[in-house]
Amino acid sequence: MALRPLPRAAARLGAEAVSENFTTSALAAGGGDSARWRRFVDPAVMFVIFAILWEKAVDVFRIKAYLLPPLSKVLQTMWTSRDLLLRESWITTLEILQGFAWAMIGGVLLAVAIHGVPTVRRALYPLIVVFQGLPKIALAPLMVIWFGYGTASKVLMAFLFAFFPVVINTLGGLAGTSPALLEHFRAIGASRIVTFRRLLVPSALPAVLDGARTAMPLAVIGAIVGEFVGSEAGLGHLILDANANARTDLLFAALVMVSLIAGALYLLVELAAKRVWWRAL
Amino acid sequence: MDRRVEAATTRADVAASRDPADAADAAVAIRNVSKTFVARAGSVRALDAVEFSIASGQFVSVLGPSGCGKSTLLRIIAGLVRCDPGGEVMLLGAPHDDVSDDVAVVFQTHNMLPWLTVERNLRLAAEVRGLPEADIKRRVEALLPVLKLEGFRHRYPHELSGGMRQRAGLGQALVLRPQVLLLDEPFGALDALTRDQLNVELLRLWQEVRKTVVLITHSIAEAVFLSDRVLVLSDRPGRIIEDLRIDLPRPRGPETTKAAPEFGAYMLHLNRLMGVR
Repeated sequence: MALRPLPRAAARLGAEAVSENFTTSALAAGGGDSARWRRFVDPAVMFVIFAILWEKAVDVFRIKAYLLPPLSKVLQTMWTSRDLLLRESWITTLEILQGFAWAMIGGVLLAVAIHGVPTVRRALYPLIVVFQGLPKIALAPLMVIWFGYGTASKVLMAFLFAFFPVVINTLGGLAGTSPALLEHFRAIGASRIVTFRRLLVPSALPAVLDGARTAMPLAVIGAIVGEFVGSEAGLGHLILDANANARTDLLFAALVMVSLIAGALYLLVELAAKRVWWRAL
Repeated sequence: MDRRVEAATTRADVAASRDPADAADAAVAIRNVSKTFVARAGSVRALDAVEFSIASGQFVSVLGPSGCGKSTLLRIIAGLVRCDPGGEVMLLGAPHDDVSDDVAVVFQTHNMLPWLTVERNLRLAAEVRGLPEADIKRRVEALLPVLKLEGFRHRYPHELSGGMRQRAGLGQALVLRPQVLLLDEPFGALDALTRDQLNVELLRLWQEVRKTVVLITHSIAEAVFLSDRVLVLSDRPGRIIEDLRIDLPRPRGPETTKAAPEFGAYMLHLNRLMGVR
């Protein structure tokens, strides 16, 4: 049989080549025909325009600094209060990461148990569906009463926010395993453990990462909410503190830090998700 | 010559062609196999008292309209589905109701894992079965050239053409070196040209390894071209309405076999049986 020549991209060998190829094509699909650098330059230009407008608007309309400080003032505060900002950011980041990690571990384990054990499914699945609908924000005061003003209650809030999307997505991924492949594994005499390890795990992985993608920003919200309700440290605490002292510049500086943290953590999840290149197949 | 073909298509000859092979030394023997699926909307009888035996090394096709229970029959032989009580499946002379190393199945959609390369997909079944590494390596190295996939061993399934994927699927089944190969419309999703090509390759492969093959198909030409024998299943519930021996000489090839006048006669006979006019 004449083997047809493969396209340029497919001619490269190995997983790396494939994943790289997949990434670039996915990005190109978003950015049209424009070059790679425009993905970074366009938003940067937009930001500069926005910054100039902010700076000028405050000046021209004589907006009071406690309502909206000029951007230059925010940047100045960020520099002068850098130690404070970094310290509080670090505390909040750790809370987010711990809550997220527990949500991933607990969520995946619970989903696997629900998927694999019918009794667990019958007993727990309805409860999870009901509990998922509860606004987690309403639990924040309770968490503070139970676990105090320290980090534990914030980690728990981050966990509560992030947990359910992980469970639901993982369950969807496990249930979505191709029936044909499941039958194939049965036909080759694979045990339940082998089927789990070699078929269910890789096949559910894209969905698990979708769960992580949803969970990460929620973990950020959870930690900040936890800090709002009762805390002695962290960016949420700093925001309330700055607010109480009419330090709007510091409040903005804290908001910038929250955005940077949320963005960076989301990017980490995205990078991990890119490694699972077979998701789109 | 024409007389012989005509004779082959009469009822009497059909009865005589039924293999006299004793169920004990047949590769596959099934007796009184029925299957009823119970669903909320009522039960569906897919197979009704199907009986036949297949001698070792024979190439048998099961032909039938879609939805006649062909695939169910194959799954029962594979041990993936149990038949209704009272039926019996014998494999290499022993009763059989579970999956076995002696039988391998190739389904219509290939069974390759998208995240593994061709080579690692071929290794999968052998790895799962816990074969020694040296053995797995030897088997896969022997298979790759036979399947013409040597240059594609590090490719992923989505980088292959449909025909290559089905050849790899065949390899996935062959790596366990089964005695009986069950093919469930393996080329059904391919275009006609690729399908013809793969039929020729399957024929060559079978002529080399001489395994017992049961091919499920709804292509009459494919069945006649490849088989020693064609079983025809009726519409649901599936019953065997014809057991036709194909007396075309071997080795067969696309030019010689399809040009033979008997080929056309067999086709015509099976066409009539299946109600195509």
